[in-house]
Amino acid sequence: MTVDIEKAPPPPVPPVRRTVPGGQRPRRRAGLRLPGGWVPYLLIAPAVAALAAVLGYSLVRNVLISFQEFGRRQLISRTTEYTGWDNFRRVLEMDRFWDSVARTFVFTAVNVALIMIIGTLVGLLLRQLGPVMRLVLSLSLVVAWAMPVIAATTVFRWLFDTQFGVANWAMRTLGFEGYEDHNWFDSGISTLTIAGILIIWGSIPFVALNLYAGLTTVSAEVLEAARMDGAGSWRIFWSIIAPIMRPFFLITTFLEIIWVFKAFPQVYALNGGGPNRESETLPVMAYVEGIGQNQYGTGAAISVLTILILLVAMSFYFRLILKQEKEQDA
Amino acid sequence: MNVRKLSLNGVALVLSAIFLFPVYWMFSSSFKENSQVLTKDPVFFFVPTFEHYTTAQNADLFWTYVRNSLVVTIGAVLVALSVALLASYALARMRFRGKRAMVLTVMAAQLAPWEVLVIVVYLNARDLSMLNSIGTLLLVYFVMALPFTIWTLRGFIAAVPRELEESALIDGCTRTQAFRRVIFPLLAPGLMATSLFGFILAWNEYAMVSVINKAPGTDTLPRWLTSFQTAFGSDWGATMAAASMFTIPVLLVFLLFQRRVTGGLAAGAVKG
Amino acid sequence: MKHKLVAAVGVAAMTAVLAACGDDGSGGGGGGGGEGGGGADSITVWLMDGSAPDAWVQELNAAFEEEHGVEVNVEIQQWDGIQERVTTALSEDGTVDVLEIGNTQTVGYANTGGLADLSDFAGEPWTASMLDSAQVDDTLYAVPWYGANRVVIYDRSVWEEAGAEVPTTRDEWITALEAIDENTEAEPIYLPGQSYYVLGGFLADEGGSFAVEDGDGWAGGLATPEGEAAMDFYAQLQSFSDSPTDNDEAEPQQSTDVVPNQEVASWIGLGWEAAGATAAIEEAGGEADFGYFPIPGKTADELGHVFLGGSNLAISERAGDSELAAEWLRMATSQEWAQRYVDANNGGVVPNRSDVTASPEAGSFAEAMVQPVDFGFLPPLTTGWTNVETEPNPIKELMTRALNGDDYQSAAEEADAEITDRINRE
Repeated sequence: MTVDIEKAPPPPVPPVRRTVPGGQRPRRRAGLRLPGGWVPYLLIAPAVAALAAVLGYSLVRNVLISFQEFGRRQLISRTTEYTGWDNFRRVLEMDRFWDSVARTFVFTAVNVALIMIIGTLVGLLLRQLGPVMRLVLSLSLVVAWAMPVIAATTVFRWLFDTQFGVANWAMRTLGFEGYEDHNWFDSGISTLTIAGILIIWGSIPFVALNLYAGLTTVSAEVLEAARMDGAGSWRIFWSIIAPIMRPFFLITTFLEIIWVFKAFPQVYALNGGGPNRESETLPVMAYVEGIGQNQYGTGAAISVLTILILLVAMSFYFRLILKQEKEQDA
Repeated sequence: MNVRKLSLNGVALVLSAIFLFPVYWMFSSSFKENSQVLTKDPVFFFVPTFEHYTTAQNADLFWTYVRNSLVVTIGAVLVALSVALLASYALARMRFRGKRAMVLTVMAAQLAPWEVLVIVVYLNARDLSMLNSIGTLLLVYFVMALPFTIWTLRGFIAAVPRELEESALIDGCTRTQAFRRVIFPLLAPGLMATSLFGFILAWNEYAMVSVINKAPGTDTLPRWLTSFQTAFGSDWGATMAAASMFTIPVLLVFLLFQRRVTGGLAAGAVKG
Repeated sequence: MKHKLVAAVGVAAMTAVLAACGDDGSGGGGGGGGEGGGGADSITVWLMDGSAPDAWVQELNAAFEEEHGVEVNVEIQQWDGIQERVTTALSEDGTVDVLEIGNTQTVGYANTGGLADLSDFAGEPWTASMLDSAQVDDTLYAVPWYGANRVVIYDRSVWEEAGAEVPTTRDEWITALEAIDENTEAEPIYLPGQSYYVLGGFLADEGGSFAVEDGDGWAGGLATPEGEAAMDFYAQLQSFSDSPTDNDEAEPQQSTDVVPNQEVASWIGLGWEAAGATAAIEEAGGEADFGYFPIPGKTADELGHVFLGGSNLAISERAGDSELAAEWLRMATSQEWAQRYVDANNGGVVPNRSDVTASPEAGSFAEAMVQPVDFGFLPPLTTGWTNVETEPNPIKELMTRALNGDDYQSAAEEADAEITDRINRE
């Protein structure tokens, strides 16, 4: 992977040398260079303060609670009982926790891959369409994108309902056997598949529309020239579009990984993590064990572990992006 | 060539149908009689009724919820944009010690599992006597949206060619003026794009508001949306009517912003 | 467990002292400023959606306001997410004064120190079977408000058409369902796979229980011959139903989503469900003709056991004004207002006091509902029972697995392990 990075094209906007030709207005120039000084600190101060006060404070308290026996009694009577590593030990000894970790990784990987692939294809398709069809498809995408998760989840739960579901009706109408009262939620895999469809359905518009918009910045002449040279669609994608859109893919994948990994209502509202807790991903498990069972200490421990796992898993991405940072500063 | 075009259009039509169907189903169910909503064979043709919209809109305190939701959502978005604009300018254009740490923080902050932090956020609000307040919600939603906002805006600002800013400086603008006159107008699509994220987030949030704001009149629309699904039988028609009403503002904002937004997001991302 | 209980009692005592200090302070202020001075000028009451008829609430509050010059804010709570809301509200000062708590949940909240000691109310003639769910170690932390039992609701015309008779034993019940199955197009009984309180009744018929005391704690009681026998009978009934095996009576809501939409000859439900189904059928232009009978027992001598569902009323330890809260509670549960409550529900609830009578009409739901008064059961009333009932509920999961043909014994052992794990937590 690192090789790729070395080969990456320079950022589309080449870094401009910061010295203004002619050497006029040296004071301004010094101001623009601004190697240190207090201005940047002043500018980031409100953001830092807000993050520290709300997120930072909550995270610290979350860590504190993960070392406590903290249930309804402690919450209501406002008492504090430290129990050391008990919560962590209990969580790490749960088979269910490790199952959830594995499940979450597979779920995230499969869905993000599908979102990126289908999203890219739909984005490329948008480019090929005539103006009317393009408008129809992009409007449909926008409408799906705008549908609030709470509403979308309710509708999906219905569509796949055992007795009244449109999905079963459609299968029956298309002549498939065995869809009389077929239960789409009778196994963890099947439940997660539906959750995946819901998530993919909701995420593709983001990828497709943005990719399409990004593609419009790729000049048509370049593509035309490539085509004249006899390059097929596949080659054009890999040798022209993909490199130009690389930062887009990088960032979108990063976002989708986070969003899918953390997806909670889509999984929980469909089947509560069932049947038999077979569709519990990490956020669902943290909720079920923590808030559901009034074991806020255990829940906090799971969430601390979740954050650590995510940080480790994403560290590769962090490095990539920091590297880009350096290139820009260079 | 024609076959190709035809098949592309066919694929596009099928895709449009897939993406539209759940939304269509929500709207169409909201116009059905309750007895037609959940049926073994779906009802596609029916005489529309508006009674569910009346029911949904006649719920207690409906207009208070609307007001609260608007205040919280628009407020959180505006505050997030302002705060993020300052920070992202520093991150995109300036060099200072601790910049990498800040970038890292902003990225890592996007990993925050807010669903699970509900209880802790609640405890903090309780201990600071900040419960039952629209302001508290606004603050929390603003911070939830902040990392993403900073990160995306930073990409947009970085995408504005430095030459533009520098020539403005040469023309005698101060740094603030250069920002206001040159960068800010170019950022408009970026600001819109980023605001959508915060908008959806604050508009949809349910878990926090249901523990932080328990006094009547301090709720937001998501609580209203779920109020038609009770233990005593769900009024599905009203739920779908409410969901439709809940979706419409988001839809409008999206349609309004979409053109500039998608272009903007991509520009920000491509050049980030 | 014991250790925790002691700690809990200690904490409860401590907060009681603290709260008492607080009361002294505000009481002093109130004394100085006269009646309308420093004291609270309103109290907040949380009732669950569907619990109290509007007219009763309004009349009661009007009477209370007249007597005490204090406004009563009744806030109707939805069941969705209620656990977090009650838990957090009990930790806040003055958010709620009086609140309704489900009877299976009361003991759990009592042990958190969040509910005020209501020993002052112990002298009232409460319905004995309802008291268990409201007290911990003989101390009252809530007072009973109402009870509700499930009965079998049947479609008279379908039963007549099939030539089925109202059963008095389980065998007759099955015979009747078979007759309906053979002679009509209707679904003989709608029974979702996860109606765990119905299963609990069958379990109680066998002499079993969801969990049993085991040394200092509790242990799941499903991997037992009683458990298996109860599940067998449940499965036998469920085989007459077209319902999926992985849903409960609320999803889809059997009374409003299922019964009005398909031909269902009978189902097991509560009073409001019968009313809801009737309303939905009439709205769709049909006509409902329901009859009711209590769940039959194994022999004609005894009825089947039913879960004594219901609610209690409690006062928050952190109430804004505990004295006024107690006054309101006393009034609401007084003989007069309790009677009016029962009447406002058309006798469709089990009264909370022995000096209140429900006089249901012949052939009504209420008449069938009050019959099994000696055949009620409650789940184990421990602090941790709430945890067991919380989704994902291990009993429900066991039921689905058993109905889908998994080996009962091994599935029940897993469920018991989960129950044991959860019930012994606070």
